[in-house]
Amino acid sequence: MTIRSVEFHILLALAQEEKHGYAILQEVAAVTDDEIQLEPGTLYRALHRMLKDGWVVESARRPAADLDDERRRYYRLTPAGRKVAVGEAERLERLVTVARAHRLLSRA
Amino acid sequence: MPDYSELSRRRGRAAKADRQFAWLLVGLYPPRFRGDVGLAFVDALEDRMRARRDAGASALRARLAALADTLRNAPAEWIGSRGDRPAEPRQKGRPVIDKVMQDVRYALRLWRRRPGFALVAIVTLALGIGANTAMFTIVNAVLLRPLQYPHADRLVSIWGRTNAYPRGLLAYDEYEAIRAQTGTFEAAGLWFPQSVNLTGVDEPQRLVGSFVSGSFFDVLGLTAERGRLFTEDESAPGTVKPVVVLAHQTWQRRFNADPAAIGATMNLNGTALTIVGVLATPFDPDTVPADGYLSGIDVFIPAAQFPMPHGLRGAGPIMLGVGRLQPGITVARASADVEVLRHRIATEAAAQPQAIQTSGFVAQGGRTLTVESAQEGIVGSSRPALLLLFAAVGVVLLIACVNVSQLLLARAVDREKEIALRAALGASRTVVARQLTIEAALLAVVSAAAGLFVGRAALASLAWLRPPASVPIPASLGLDGTVLAFSGLVAIVVATLCGLAPAVKVARPDLGHVLQAGFRRASAPGRRTRDVFMVVEMALSVALVAVAALLIQSVVAVQRVPLGFDPSNVFTLQFRLPQSKYPTPPDIARFFKTTIERVRAVPGVESAALVRAVPLSGNGGTIGYTIIGKPPVDPKSLPQSYLHLVTPDYFRTMRIPVIKGRDFTDRDDLQSPLVAVINETFARKAFPGADALGQRITTPQTQGPITIVGIVGDSKHYAATEPQAPQLYAAHYQVPLIFSSLVARTRGPAMSVTQDVRKAIWSVDKDQPVWSVVSLEDIVSRTQGQSRFLAMLLAVFAAVALVLAGVGIYGVTSYGVAQRTHEIGIRLALGASGERVLREVVGRGAKLALAGAAIGVAVAVAMARFASAVLFAVRPTDPIALAAAVATLMIVSLAACYIPARRAARVDPVVALAEE
Repeated sequence: MTIRSVEFHILLALAQEEKHGYAILQEVAAVTDDEIQLEPGTLYRALHRMLKDGWVVESARRPAADLDDERRRYYRLTPAGRKVAVGEAERLERLVTVARAHRLLSRA
Repeated sequence: MPDYSELSRRRGRAAKADRQFAWLLVGLYPPRFRGDVGLAFVDALEDRMRARRDAGASALRARLAALADTLRNAPAEWIGSRGDRPAEPRQKGRPVIDKVMQDVRYALRLWRRRPGFALVAIVTLALGIGANTAMFTIVNAVLLRPLQYPHADRLVSIWGRTNAYPRGLLAYDEYEAIRAQTGTFEAAGLWFPQSVNLTGVDEPQRLVGSFVSGSFFDVLGLTAERGRLFTEDESAPGTVKPVVVLAHQTWQRRFNADPAAIGATMNLNGTALTIVGVLATPFDPDTVPADGYLSGIDVFIPAAQFPMPHGLRGAGPIMLGVGRLQPGITVARASADVEVLRHRIATEAAAQPQAIQTSGFVAQGGRTLTVESAQEGIVGSSRPALLLLFAAVGVVLLIACVNVSQLLLARAVDREKEIALRAALGASRTVVARQLTIEAALLAVVSAAAGLFVGRAALASLAWLRPPASVPIPASLGLDGTVLAFSGLVAIVVATLCGLAPAVKVARPDLGHVLQAGFRRASAPGRRTRDVFMVVEMALSVALVAVAALLIQSVVAVQRVPLGFDPSNVFTLQFRLPQSKYPTPPDIARFFKTTIERVRAVPGVESAALVRAVPLSGNGGTIGYTIIGKPPVDPKSLPQSYLHLVTPDYFRTMRIPVIKGRDFTDRDDLQSPLVAVINETFARKAFPGADALGQRITTPQTQGPITIVGIVGDSKHYAATEPQAPQLYAAHYQVPLIFSSLVARTRGPAMSVTQDVRKAIWSVDKDQPVWSVVSLEDIVSRTQGQSRFLAMLLAVFAAVALVLAGVGIYGVTSYGVAQRTHEIGIRLALGASGERVLREVVGRGAKLALAGAAIGVAVAVAMARFASAVLFAVRPTDPIALAAAVATLMIVSLAACYIPARRAARVDPVVALAEE
């Protein structure tokens, strides 16, 4: 299963808790030190694709009323999505291991 | 300290603009996508823009970033692409669009690799499509599009039909009766365009006036741009007012669009008319076929101002009728209704002998009233020619398609090994068929786009060829929606025609056969297909060349018809005397006599005369006559003859031979008994076996007997192609009318005397305008313009078809030879002579050409039947034209075969066999 980096970032952002679209965007920016600034079009297209593939679903649960905006949709990972994310993380880990073996990274 | 309230207000404004912009951007995504992701998408876009601004970016920058994002993502979502996530091998249901895009990219890659192929194919098709687009634009503008008036579908012409003129004129009392027939006509009007003299300006000038009833404007739904139009009362006999309405272009040209023109007076035909308004032009007259209602008209004058000595009511049928039918009334029904009216009027008139005296039309043999759709009257006569041209460009396009199809097929066959191998390995064969079809479609689309440009250029060059006035091609043509739709349709047809054969062929390759032949060389499949292509191509070009040959023969035949007069070195012009200045026949006769004397005195003029209607100028008249001393005939079916009014010396000037008797003399004047000269046909028809000289006839229009004093040779009057009609020449001095024409035979070139003749006429009357100053040769050549134009266009199309066919035949033969190189090499190695190989290849081409010619002749005969309406003195089955077409094709196809055949004969066996 191949996965695009924007999709992996979204999966990561949703790993701990469900989020709405804009929150995903902010989370991605935060964890990459603003290195990756997702644009809304790219984000929503990716979400749309991932919804179709069953990696994420819209969540029925909503936060407390005073924090809620009725137009927002919240997304959460499905087991399939989690599997994809884990698979990708493991793949990256293997690559990092190789990189270390080639002395591209100093040992942690 | 910053003003925070101001800042927040500004922020608020920017936020609102952001919101609108976000909505706009979201609107660019497909609705399905918008529905799926919800409104939060808008919020996200908006938030992102605000975040950017908060981080210090300008509003413009923030928005540009959002726009860039949208432009990157929205189109991809529209075409259903799933972005750049790599496709998975086993993934089902990849969107069709992806496969199509892949094929398009593949085709483009092939074109890049072999630009020659793509160029030839696109140019060939663009020529075909362009020619079709241009012809369709014309057919659409002339035949398909309704006239640009309100309720154009109910607009009709009302004709007085006689044997001589199927589209003749209407009398005023008939018009009044028709107008009263409100059950049939919603509105009816009279109109008649005639030149008018404009005086009171620096030089006397001629304008084209249309004498119209007030109702004419209502019928066509015309309105005033400025001031007002005149009413029915202001145009009717008895209540007529001295008013005039200007056409828009007259107001602009002559009055510099000055609003003060309204209320000014214009001296027209010697009467001061007050300008009451400017007519609004309801459409651009350059873009429609000339209809006569508006095109070329300078001023609109009340009908009752029409210069007739006894007024409009007593003048007989002298005007054109136009009407708008009540909804639901058919043309046939209206025709029947107006004929009933005419019968009633004629019966009433017959009861009053006085009426017959003033309006002689009752006696016109078999005159009836008919109604015809106005559009038919304007463009109907050009239909056969236009449809013929349209069919011709269709044939050119077909040949182009066959050529391109052939090119595609040849290439597909080249790939056969690859395809067969892929099929054997389990790949879907339809992939290749689809790829070919898509390539053909792509070719069609690109060529159609290029064809639009070719079409535009073709239309421009058509204007440059100056189609004759009798071909109602609008001066400017736009590529409107209908034309674009037509081009699209043509592209679809082209794609189907080009792609079908190769796709079918390749989708079912003979696997075993191809693989057995192995990789040494492919077999030569598709040979039969190629033969069929060649025969079709040849048949189509033979047909087109044959039809073009028929038309050229027809043009030559028209030019060879003896006219009966000698048009070289004859100068002509027309004039109309103002009725008010020349009120009585002696006044007019005096002007005639002095004018002829002065013109004769002009250096370079050999002889000069007046004639009411110059031959082939379109003017003329007919008359019914009775022979004195013969049993009387029914006045309704009098024998008819053309009537010409001429002064002495006319026959000498025109070089029409006087066969018997004498020419008119100056003594045949208003005081002397009426005399006439007839042509041979008249003499033969009216006095078979007897001497016509000295015989006497009467006509309803003249009082007293007319003695025949001379017989002259036959000549043509309306067209070179008309059957010879009986002609009666009356003495112009005995019947002096205000409209006449001058003919002068010159020693040098006809037009060299122009200035002096003009001055001679102005020395008689300095206010008298003259027009249609032209040589008789020009008049003659103009009447042949339409058939020449048609033949020239068809010859061009036939030449294009021949070139395309030649290229096609060459391509097919070359390909066949290339495929057989191996076989030819073996045969040459085994001792066959090169000459024999050459003979075989050419012989094969000749056999196909003969088959094509046979089919082509049959097609040509069918097509020419269609063309018979525009043929003169040539039968559609004319053997010369057909033989010429077949011979031309044989030469072209043999030449096209010979080059590859020679190549085949020179194959080096060593090279050919080593090729494996």
